[in-house]
Amino acid sequence: MRRRVVITGLGPVSSVGIGTEEFATALQQGESGISPISSFDATGFPHRMAGEVPAFDPKQMLEHLDPREWGRTSLFAAAAARLAVQDSGIDPAALSRARAGSSIGTTSGESQVIEELTAQWVAGSLKDLDPALIRATPASRLAVAVNRELGLTGEALTLSTACSASNYALGHAYATLATGEADYMIAGGADSVCRWAHAGFYRLGALTEFVCSPFDRDRSGILTGEGGAALFLEPLESAERRGARIYAEVLGYGLNCDASHMVAPDPVSIAECMRRAHRKAGIDAAQVDYICAHGTGTPANDAMETQAVLEVFGPKPPPISSIKSMLGHTMGAASGFGAIASALGIARQFIPPTINFRTPDPQMPGIDPVAGVARPARLRVVQNNGFAFGGNNAITILGEVA
Amino acid sequence: MTTAIQQHLDEIREIAAEVLEIEPEEITETSSFAEEHEADSLRAIEILARIEKKYNVEIPQAELPKMVNLRAVYDVVAQHAGWAA
Repeated sequence: MRRRVVITGLGPVSSVGIGTEEFATALQQGESGISPISSFDATGFPHRMAGEVPAFDPKQMLEHLDPREWGRTSLFAAAAARLAVQDSGIDPAALSRARAGSSIGTTSGESQVIEELTAQWVAGSLKDLDPALIRATPASRLAVAVNRELGLTGEALTLSTACSASNYALGHAYATLATGEADYMIAGGADSVCRWAHAGFYRLGALTEFVCSPFDRDRSGILTGEGGAALFLEPLESAERRGARIYAEVLGYGLNCDASHMVAPDPVSIAECMRRAHRKAGIDAAQVDYICAHGTGTPANDAMETQAVLEVFGPKPPPISSIKSMLGHTMGAASGFGAIASALGIARQFIPPTINFRTPDPQMPGIDPVAGVARPARLRVVQNNGFAFGGNNAITILGEVA
Repeated sequence: MTTAIQQHLDEIREIAAEVLEIEPEEITETSSFAEEHEADSLRAIEILARIEKKYNVEIPQAELPKMVNLRAVYDVVAQHAGWAA
């Protein structure tokens, strides 16, 4: 029999706050995590803003990993996982004895490490590469960092499905628990702000200058962001047995791939992914109370996402907001932050807002982006969208435990 | 003058052929990048980026939709690089 799976711990390490309380407050007040870039020298770039996490201090957050041995993205993943476990209230020693593992999504893995090695190569020669950095390079270390930090001996899976990766990871963790292959799972994602993503998105014409304004008529692109997002999952029965606080239930997920263009989203395929997620979660579109959008703020994404939403939900869709307006695009962590925001919305009865929204887009009628500040609402079912380059779509459905 | 234009056309043709992974001879002044040479928006950006680098010019991305064939690309570049018509 399939077990029901619930979220009992949240671990956001984000530009608007570290830990559940800071993050929830920021979502409710519509805070911005965007600041001038400090991770790399952005002099000479026409655009110089990003959603960095300057307050991130891995040494203070991690109990086992030595930050000197790991890249920034692995440290984000491990710190987020540590927070999620603390938030769940489970005994860490009992957890490490249990059948527990992690699945962690990412877009660019240890991008800052690779950039540093590249700089060493360019400045000198291949012989000048720092061996410690080479060891820190593989993206597969993200999930390993989580398992090492927490002493988890179950699976350690790093998924690189770009900007929908956290939803892939959450879906996988859910399936692992539902089928009884593990008893606890950490799911989420991590990425770091880096020059190459900033330059790449700028070159694509997809990077805005100062503020990201999803669903606005005058939206002009993303800002890159970073952070670690982790969710602690366990079967409902286990959560009830230990008297854990339950944020939300994972009802199901849908995955598909446009299999056509590398960067242009396909609304027909996205609509199919939504229907697939609804079917697998055992719900109808009409039951969805809120859509946590992919909402990157590029003209193309928001238009195509809206088109798919209108196709699936009809002319009066539920409220749809984008937390990327606050965080920027945290890439592989994005749908993980979306899942955390959705779970918080369900547990604390509010809809996170889209900030920087000024003018409705006449091309996107019927959209309610929850402008500015959070709105109180009872959310029984939430749809969390994640789309990625390659047309790699992943949607998770969370709900109130009924 | 004519030779300068021809030289620029040939250089741009070379760039486009490299990006589109075809032989330069296949590209005429009016053959459509999208319809005849299977270009998409990403390839178009790549052509634009290489041209900017080669001629040290800045071409606004808003010009991309105009750059549908070799002649059209030349005209856009000529305008922004200040090449005499």
